[in-house]
Amino acid sequence: MQLAERIEKRRFVGREFLLWLWFEGELFDETLFVAPHGKFGLAIEKELLLSNGKEATRIVGRAPARAREAKDALALGKLPERAGLRLVLGEREATFVLKAEALGLAGLALPTILTEADAVRPGELGATTAPRRGRRRTTVEEDAEREADARAEVFGDRIDRAGEVEAHLEALYRDFLRLRLTRAWDELVVPAMRRWSSDEAVDAERYREARKRALAGTTSKAPRRKGTEPSKPTKRPRR
Amino acid sequence: MSLFKGQLTYARYFVDPDESEPLESGFAERFLETLAARPFVPLDPEEDVRERVGWCRVGEPFETSFGHGDLFWNGHLVLGFRVDRWVVPSSLVKAKTRQAEASYLAKKGRERASKKEKAELKELVTRKLRRQLAPSTRSVDLALSLDDGIARFFSHSAALGGAMCELFRSTFGLRLVPEAPYTTAARIGLDALVGTKRGDALWDALEPTDLTNANALGSRGGR
Repeated sequence: MQLAERIEKRRFVGREFLLWLWFEGELFDETLFVAPHGKFGLAIEKELLLSNGKEATRIVGRAPARAREAKDALALGKLPERAGLRLVLGEREATFVLKAEALGLAGLALPTILTEADAVRPGELGATTAPRRGRRRTTVEEDAEREADARAEVFGDRIDRAGEVEAHLEALYRDFLRLRLTRAWDELVVPAMRRWSSDEAVDAERYREARKRALAGTTSKAPRRKGTEPSKPTKRPRR
Repeated sequence: MSLFKGQLTYARYFVDPDESEPLESGFAERFLETLAARPFVPLDPEEDVRERVGWCRVGEPFETSFGHGDLFWNGHLVLGFRVDRWVVPSSLVKAKTRQAEASYLAKKGRERASKKEKAELKELVTRKLRRQLAPSTRSVDLALSLDDGIARFFSHSAALGGAMCELFRSTFGLRLVPEAPYTTAARIGLDALVGTKRGDALWDALEPTDLTNANALGSRGGR
């Protein structure tokens, strides 16, 4: 398969990634874990668009993924095309829209401590160039230099914070791929997602353990064992 | 939607190491020389060109010369991708062409103009209108991390992204591939992820997951 084919014919993998984020977010009460970053919050909010190439369902609201139409759309074979996401990193939050087929980010509001959202950040444009009283008047050249320094500082800060969001998504995508490309997908994830999508109970802890084993590589090497499927109904999805 | 203010909307591109010239020492000077040798050429109303793309300083579309400090910030190459385009309202072109056609026919003492004559008149009118207007100019920010080869281009337009990649390659000799489920997976390293050398084969074998049909799993690569 050529590069273009691998890109174009497998864009559905991006939709499945978003579906998996939705599923795990709901199953684990919107608290996810990835090895390099530990625990963090991830929730779908504001918008969820599902489609199947012919029809689309767009749900807007505070918790669109919990709306009745969302699971109904899955039952009709639609998969998420884009979703508004809130990423919570300790006290900081970032919001953005994830476009699944391109894994592109739109409207990314960078991780910020909410109580300090309105404060002027160091290096913010306009915060550093005004001369103080009693100081020597600066030349045009010096002002331009300061402005350039401030812009570079703002750039560095923003690109770092965007990179933090990307790193979390990439770590999730890495775990997703390790499941998606191995037997764990068909044996563990798909059955659990089927139950979840049809509002049947999924045992979150059993799924978590089986997933952990799969990511550690045991599922792919060992034959399927009893208990790798989350079957014990202990937790009902919230609606 | 810029590097400096407000929310960020961008598409990522990855430098393809297999089809790119390596960033050897002295690349900064080479980039500066290349940009100096290929300055942005503004559109000329007399040219038969509707659009032109080129590089400008990030956030400053009319600054098309570069010093080291304009181009390299915090381990990134930063540029503006400038697009100039003639935007002449089609209703205005139509009205002016009708006028020109009427006066042309009156001068020639004829009732109808040929298809070729109509096209020539339209071309003349368009050029005249362009001389009275300035082309529309926009620039899209681009930041390429020199550490990890990730370029962030602040637009999701596939057409703009394609034009940017083409210009980027011809300017710097680096091929950018757009982020997609496959390119991201390949960058992470498919083989390392699945612990075999069959990463691409597993990818090629993927079929869409069907949650609606309980009897059909058929979605994995397996290994």
